[in-house]
Amino acid sequence: MKMLYVSRVAMMAVSALAVMALATGPASAVDPQKGKSIGEKGYVWNSGGGEQDEALHLKPNVENGRDVYEVCAACHLPEGWGQTDGTFPQLAGQHYKVTIKQLADIRALNRDNPTMYPFALPSQIGGSQAIADVAAYMEQKLKMNPNPGVGKGDDLAHGEKLYVEHCARCHGAKGEGDNEKFYPRVQGQHYNYLMRQYEWIKEGKRRNANPDMVEQIKWMTMKDQEAVLDYVSRMKPDPKLIGPADWKNPDFE
Amino acid sequence: MARSILWATGCFGLFLGGLIMQTQPVAAADAAASDGPTLFADKGCVACHGEDALTGLDQGYPRLAGQSATYLLEQMRDIKSGKRANGLSADTMVPILAEVSDAEMEVLATWLATLPNPSQTATAPDKSNEGRKLYMTRSCVACHGKDGRKPIMPTYPMLAGQDPAYVLTQSKDIKNKVRTNGLTNAMQPVMHLTSDEELEKIAAYLAAIR
Repeated sequence: MKMLYVSRVAMMAVSALAVMALATGPASAVDPQKGKSIGEKGYVWNSGGGEQDEALHLKPNVENGRDVYEVCAACHLPEGWGQTDGTFPQLAGQHYKVTIKQLADIRALNRDNPTMYPFALPSQIGGSQAIADVAAYMEQKLKMNPNPGVGKGDDLAHGEKLYVEHCARCHGAKGEGDNEKFYPRVQGQHYNYLMRQYEWIKEGKRRNANPDMVEQIKWMTMKDQEAVLDYVSRMKPDPKLIGPADWKNPDFE
Repeated sequence: MARSILWATGCFGLFLGGLIMQTQPVAAADAAASDGPTLFADKGCVACHGEDALTGLDQGYPRLAGQSATYLLEQMRDIKSGKRANGLSADTMVPILAEVSDAEMEVLATWLATLPNPSQTATAPDKSNEGRKLYMTRSCVACHGKDGRKPIMPTYPMLAGQDPAYVLTQSKDIKNKVRTNGLTNAMQPVMHLTSDEELEKIAAYLAAIR
């Protein structure tokens, strides 16, 4: 971890200057135009374009992805396991296209994430190639957390029923998601993170949300929400994707 | 535009400071009629923040010398407009800033950023320091930089050497959503990671960098 921070700090010194330099232009990097939000006229989910399309057409370089990931590791941890309390989500095992879309959306201000925003800037991690590289690195090199944060565990049968009827069609029978359709892997994600994103999707605060999902969940009560997300957090990914409980990412040892 | 002026003057602050002093008599109606040191004294800033902008009247007043000009300007504007109304700002700062124009705030911010702050080069506590450990592991370092000296954005404050009572008030107020201006929305979501007792240790560590 120590080496990690030293090199990060060196990068920050450079990037802070870059950010300041960018801030001098007419279109300030600190305060760019926001994209269209869900609920707004003309909003199209996953309309593509911009860096998302650029990154999708590039050949990822996993080795550079490791260097890019160093910035992410400060919060999401070298293993990509995030925080069990849900402050930072697990990134390990996420689909290539999902990561590309979300990172491109955050950079384009289509998804608000003020805490992460400065670290996602091109000055910090690089252009669309870096997006492809880090997405490939996460998918290929990070083993998933075997012990994610979960809910109370007292209403799982109800949660399962809700999941099967209302979530599985898109997120998959086991919560594995769908790379081709940009649907995230949700199995084994931290419960509190699922709770937060679910609420933001429902309220329209997550501005790049899929309107189909908003429609799908709008009638659910808090009891339903807690039950289904508890169930999701406990869904087991393919054993090949999971790391041992004491797994340390060898790239950052 | 305002940012580019700031950046340029931030870089060549001393040079420009001299220039403003020389051209003072021809100041336009909407421009600052004075230079940084004169404004800092005449507007009463000096009473609480100290002549060197490092020695506050009492505990809880922030050290301003060498702070990011962008950050200083944003905070002055937010305090004046009421967007930032926590701590001492509403009662103490608002009446003072009522007499300071936007152009004068720009001059002050730019000048304050050029003032020497020994915390930028002072020896920081080593790895055994409890507050430093917390600073490194509770995600503070990610945005405010090593030893609080190099924030990742010009809109984020430098923390090295800052007054500990001030740091504690502000971090608690951000945690409890009492202070919500500027980019505190980037910090608030991680504040539950750190208890108030731990914040005290972090504040003490930062204050020790002098």
